[in-house]
Amino acid sequence: MSAFVRASAVTAGPSRRFAITVALLLALFLAGTGPAAVAQAQQAQPKSSAAAATGASSAAVQSDPLLKAMREELDRSKSQLKMDNVPAPYYVEYRLSDVDEYSAEAVFGALRQDQRIHVRNLRVVVRVGDYKQDSYYGPGTGFVNIAPRDDDSVALRRELWLATDRAYKIASEALASKKAVLSQYTADQPFNDFARAPALESVGPFVKLDFTPAPWKETLEKVTDLYRTDAKIQSLSAYVRFRAVNDYFVNTEGTSTRQGYIVYSLNLSAETQADDGMELGRSPFYVGASASELPSQEKLLAETAKMLQSLKDLREAPMVEEDYRGPILFSNDAASDILDGMIGGNILGIRPKPGDSARTTGEFSSNYKGRVLPTFLSVVDDPTMKSFDGKSLIGSYQIDQEGVRVASLPVIKDGILIEYLLGRMPIRDFADSNGHGRAAPGQSPSPNIGNLILQPKESSSPDELKKKLIEMCKQEGKPYGYYAETLVGNNPRLLYRVYVSDSHEELVRGAVFNELDTRTLRNNLVAAGNDPLVSNREGAVPTTVISPSILFDELEVKRTDKKNAKLPEYPPPTIAAH
Amino acid sequence: MQKRFPWFPVFAVLALATFPLSALTSSPTANIVLTTMQQELQRATKALAKTDPAPYYMSYAVTDTDETAVAASNGSVIYSASVDRRQADVMMRVGSVALDNTHSQSRASGITSGLLPLNDDTNAIARVLWQLTDREYEQASAAYLKVKTNNAVRSEEEDKSPDFSSEAPQDHLNLVPLRPPSDQQIWEGRTRKLSAGFLKYPEVYTSYVSFNISADRSYLATSEGTALIRPGAIARLVIQAETRADDGMELMRVESFQAATASQLPSDAELAAKVDKIAADLKALRAAPAADPYAGPAMLSGRAAAVFFHEVLGHRLEGHRQRDENEGQTFTKKVNQLVLPAFLSVADDPTMKELNGVQLAGHYDFDDEGVPAARVVAVENGVLKNFLMSRMPIKNFSTSNGHGRRQPGLMPTGRQGNLIVTSSNTVKDSELRERFIAEIKKQGKPYGLYFDDIQGGFTLTGRASPQAFQVIPVMVYRVYADGRPDELVRGVDIVGTPLLSLNNIVLTGDTLQVFNGICGAESGQVPVAAAAPSMLFTEIEVQKRRRGSERPPILPPPGFESTAATPPANAAKTAAPGAKP
Repeated sequence: MSAFVRASAVTAGPSRRFAITVALLLALFLAGTGPAAVAQAQQAQPKSSAAAATGASSAAVQSDPLLKAMREELDRSKSQLKMDNVPAPYYVEYRLSDVDEYSAEAVFGALRQDQRIHVRNLRVVVRVGDYKQDSYYGPGTGFVNIAPRDDDSVALRRELWLATDRAYKIASEALASKKAVLSQYTADQPFNDFARAPALESVGPFVKLDFTPAPWKETLEKVTDLYRTDAKIQSLSAYVRFRAVNDYFVNTEGTSTRQGYIVYSLNLSAETQADDGMELGRSPFYVGASASELPSQEKLLAETAKMLQSLKDLREAPMVEEDYRGPILFSNDAASDILDGMIGGNILGIRPKPGDSARTTGEFSSNYKGRVLPTFLSVVDDPTMKSFDGKSLIGSYQIDQEGVRVASLPVIKDGILIEYLLGRMPIRDFADSNGHGRAAPGQSPSPNIGNLILQPKESSSPDELKKKLIEMCKQEGKPYGYYAETLVGNNPRLLYRVYVSDSHEELVRGAVFNELDTRTLRNNLVAAGNDPLVSNREGAVPTTVISPSILFDELEVKRTDKKNAKLPEYPPPTIAAH
Repeated sequence: MQKRFPWFPVFAVLALATFPLSALTSSPTANIVLTTMQQELQRATKALAKTDPAPYYMSYAVTDTDETAVAASNGSVIYSASVDRRQADVMMRVGSVALDNTHSQSRASGITSGLLPLNDDTNAIARVLWQLTDREYEQASAAYLKVKTNNAVRSEEEDKSPDFSSEAPQDHLNLVPLRPPSDQQIWEGRTRKLSAGFLKYPEVYTSYVSFNISADRSYLATSEGTALIRPGAIARLVIQAETRADDGMELMRVESFQAATASQLPSDAELAAKVDKIAADLKALRAAPAADPYAGPAMLSGRAAAVFFHEVLGHRLEGHRQRDENEGQTFTKKVNQLVLPAFLSVADDPTMKELNGVQLAGHYDFDDEGVPAARVVAVENGVLKNFLMSRMPIKNFSTSNGHGRRQPGLMPTGRQGNLIVTSSNTVKDSELRERFIAEIKKQGKPYGLYFDDIQGGFTLTGRASPQAFQVIPVMVYRVYADGRPDELVRGVDIVGTPLLSLNNIVLTGDTLQVFNGICGAESGQVPVAAAAPSMLFTEIEVQKRRRGSERPPILPPPGFESTAATPPANAAKTAAPGAKP
């Protein structure tokens, strides 16, 4: 934008911008999480994606005023939008995201944030070229703007008109840039830029937040008020974030969909320091598809007390001084972090930059049809599963943000990688989407997991796994092994020594894993539990991982080299009676 | 991916508050917050005195804000929210007044911010203040050690003034309750209706109507004993519309209205008339010829002159700039010299509440460092006398004159309040135009340029950039010597170096026009006003505005296919069938 952005009929000093808040606003479109049991209103016959999509759309689509307005402007653009000396678009899509979000935060027993925001944004993609090579490159990957919040088709069509015009002009330049970049490389890209997909019409129910703020605010204040129970707790805060997203999507291949999802989350955060200054923290979270799936106030108070106790125990726990290399047992909670990060992150079929001949980004890019896990383990991604073990799975969905239906997909079978998760951007040897083109409101779709499930062919109970751990350590002449209860990132947060002599457990602090990576998964995973845990995760898009406990036969633990922080210069204020 | 951010003025993080506002409106609460701040500040001062290096000054500044923002476009609301927020800024100086952690580039080390509980829970408030203070001490003490080291090795600075001035503590509690919040739904209705007024103009591509009202209360407690509670209130309505000329030049018109309360903003009828005027102006601008580069006589309306002075002179009077080694320091060495024609004087007076019946947005009683606001005569009969001072001393000016201002979260610096330009060489406004035409003829130019309204500009005062300023005109007319009617032109930018251009003013009108707005600079956004008479320049230099390269939209807006206001790119294809609107 030109200097116009700068001043509001006002003088501005050196480079000051007023669009800050809108940027903040658009930044809020980091999607939360939340499954919505989306029922299909109607399934239209799939049309050939090559055909122009000006035919009549289903009654369900026509009855939704937003989809109707989007479809009308889309059709007008497709049939009329053309610049001299520039090819007409061969594909156009609109996505309108309606986001309703409530968030509140309390610290030390007092509320300090309490807000509800309802906004809409739209994302427009215009592609020129053809499925083999098109303009989806650089700025050509989508134009995003804030959208009318009223159900007003006139205002919406005005916004769409301008956005489409802009996206078309950008696309023509983007295609030229892309061709210029590609001309540097001799080899042709052996796959299309854009995968074909069948037309699909589906109007799911509009999802709405359903909760009462007052009890949640009270809960936040009550749980954070527990700071009084421990003078060494430096910080105790809690927040809730409840978000409902409804996506409206139309494209020129004849797809029209409306899909929604809801996520309710509550997050605790506590910080303390050991006497030597080591910073210790805990940040448990609870995520579900409805307010009732979150723990009750009573349960949360108990959980918070437990968390504070664990921090006290950590403060008093001995530092890990000596290196260890041997068997380590991961709880199902800890294992779900590994499943998410190390497997979930690497099975995505993300196309590398032009000129990079790898199949995909990520560590499994050269492992297609190769072994990535022990043969007793398989992994499936099944977004069609709505619940497991009585819990809603927030990673559930029926149709992705590119209008492609998803199905259950085995990804790793008996240790062998047989699939990558894909959107409509093909990679080498994978020409079609498998419905994993997911996007947060306003963002470009990108391959992502839905409900990722680790499935052992044989398993043992957690007790048996612990016995096995002890047995292995005994055989190696070790006095103890390790049990990781929770992680933060790839490192332990609650780590226990399990003593061979009498099986007792001792909490330790200051430990990190060394070389815990995909090779460890392939070579050192020897057993899994029969205790799968549902771990709902609120990220840019909502996901779920389900994993049992896992046992490594060899993994290294050593002392962290992170420096200890200074303790506070002076003690906190004494708590005055109310 | 390309993001286009529509332009919104003055939005903080906003939301619909379900929190009861009684906590923020009643007087006893105000005292509880201040008392808690003072007690915790005292405890912190005592405890940190034992450290090395120790702070010599600390302050807690808390701002309660109750803000409502609503925006609409094309007849639909696009944003609507209210938020209550209590922000705390802990400011600390470590070292001594001669040299402390805020010296030079390290100024930001002087502040740490966070959100406070919204209620009267003194324990929770005190505990968050403690967290912030501890963090700030860590930051400030580390910065001070760096400053000490840098100071020893860097070449001697030109200005060796201390880093902090000596000021008397102030004690003033203005406990007026915060206004109850605005009715969001009413404003949604008003902005919706107003914004719909643009729909009938297909040449207006983008438009917004936004309403923003905030009421705040600021608390200040310092280790020197200052205790202040100050209320603030501002209501602002902005109408903005954009289009593009056929050659791709971006054209924009903005009208803003500002007052202390929403009821003082113009009526719906007046605003609707503005919408029509803005649309008409944009249509005329689209059709107007693009201006050529030009140097010659020019006349500025009072409002245009006010913005001109705010940019060209006002920012250069800000105290801290005189000392910053990276700044251009245009006026630093010109104290007691002529910097303007001798008939012009410039004062900045935050104590003024209104001028000629218009409220002044830059009015305040105490600045953000707790120093009483003062009228500063910066230029007297053309001679530079003074700067706009915060508590940062500069050479020959060792004390604050109550111009230390900031937005929450940032360190204060010297800023403008109400910049008032007065003239002793005046004629009636109507006569100024005659004198203007006479000057055009005298110089043998075919025309002069009249600047009716401007959008605001930006100033590059840094040493690394040329001493250029740009005041961005919106409605500019060629005024012909031969009596032809005035002709609107588009794409004009005023350029030049400040010293030269100011000295080209030869005559002014006799009525001050007021311009209210929000000014942004290093210490953030603050409300300001500027007032000036219309002015005649013997020479102003203009350049052609940098144009966007994107041409107008290819298709007409939905619903305007038959009128085809914008000629379609490919005329042969206009008859293609499409869905009806």
